[in-house]
Amino acid sequence: MSRTLFRPVLVAALLALLMICGRFAVAGAASLEDALTGALVPSAAPSLLGPITSAGRVGWECKPERSAGSAGWHEAELPPHSGSP
Amino acid sequence: MRWLLTVAIIWGLMAAAAAAQTYSPQRPLPRTTSMPTLRALATQREVEERFKLGIDAEARGDWTSAVAEFNRIVALNPPEPKGSTARYDLAIAYANLGRYDDAATELRAALALDPAFLAAMANLVSVDIARGDLAQARQVADRYVAVDPDSARALYSRGIVALRSGDAATAREDFGKLLRNNPSYAVAYYDLALAEERLGRYESAERQLRAALSLAPAYARARFALGVVLLREGEHGAARNEFQRASVDAAGDPALQNIAAAARDSIPAP
Repeated sequence: MSRTLFRPVLVAALLALLMICGRFAVAGAASLEDALTGALVPSAAPSLLGPITSAGRVGWECKPERSAGSAGWHEAELPPHSGSP
Repeated sequence: MRWLLTVAIIWGLMAAAAAAQTYSPQRPLPRTTSMPTLRALATQREVEERFKLGIDAEARGDWTSAVAEFNRIVALNPPEPKGSTARYDLAIAYANLGRYDDAATELRAALALDPAFLAAMANLVSVDIARGDLAQARQVADRYVAVDPDSARALYSRGIVALRSGDAATAREDFGKLLRNNPSYAVAYYDLALAEERLGRYESAERQLRAALSLAPAYARARFALGVVLLREGEHGAARNEFQRASVDAAGDPALQNIAAAARDSIPAP
């Protein structure tokens, strides 16, 4: 190969390599960013409240109905602190 | 001898009294000969018995038997509150069998009979989330919050639905209100932080996550989220440390452990 032809071929090859590397780097960064965003998931939905007897929800100490209306997280039977969402 | 005889007589009298003791029947005997009334009494009794059997079945995790009992009660169409309660209990059995569509149908029927039934609203939001129907879940959650604005479960449920459906502003409002009544509830700080992060308010998100971690230092998901927020704030070194700790704390959650380790390794060590 002549010296005049070798130089532009080398430059083109280097440019192509640079572009490929850059593309992989951007793709890698984007996929990490996507993975991080995807991993920020909200906590779990609350578990179901328990059954109610034939007396119904009104006029007695009905635990599920009381839990549903409680202002406190513990009595409301919400997921605990260390629980994995 | 006379003393012994007296004791024997007293003992005999007591034994006779005990033997003659009568017990009142558990249920009053029907005082009618009318066929419709007798039929109604029999139905009432069947409803009561099936409630007991259904609840016992649910207590031992026999959801199929529970479905049979509560379905029969629903077919008998008892008056309120038994009608809505039977549908509520039936929904619990369906949900535990993975039949979420049937569970949602029964809970909606219970709410049609008793529109202020909070426990039915609470369970319906969770069932709709399990069905993946966030639009329906949101409708019920809105109604739940409107009926009982201070209910921790109502605020939490709507906040979760809002976060999952991309409404960070409502989630921020609900978790903020939940925390006003429950300042030691770490999970609410975590979800509030997620809402803040989605609104681009990284400083506030960081503050909420630090509050969650001060209450629950081994809360791996909060630790990981803190790493992400620090990364977005350009605090690469601090983010790396949080990812490192999250990868250790997430021992019981391999997926989180892997992503935390990958995030840590993507940041060059100083």
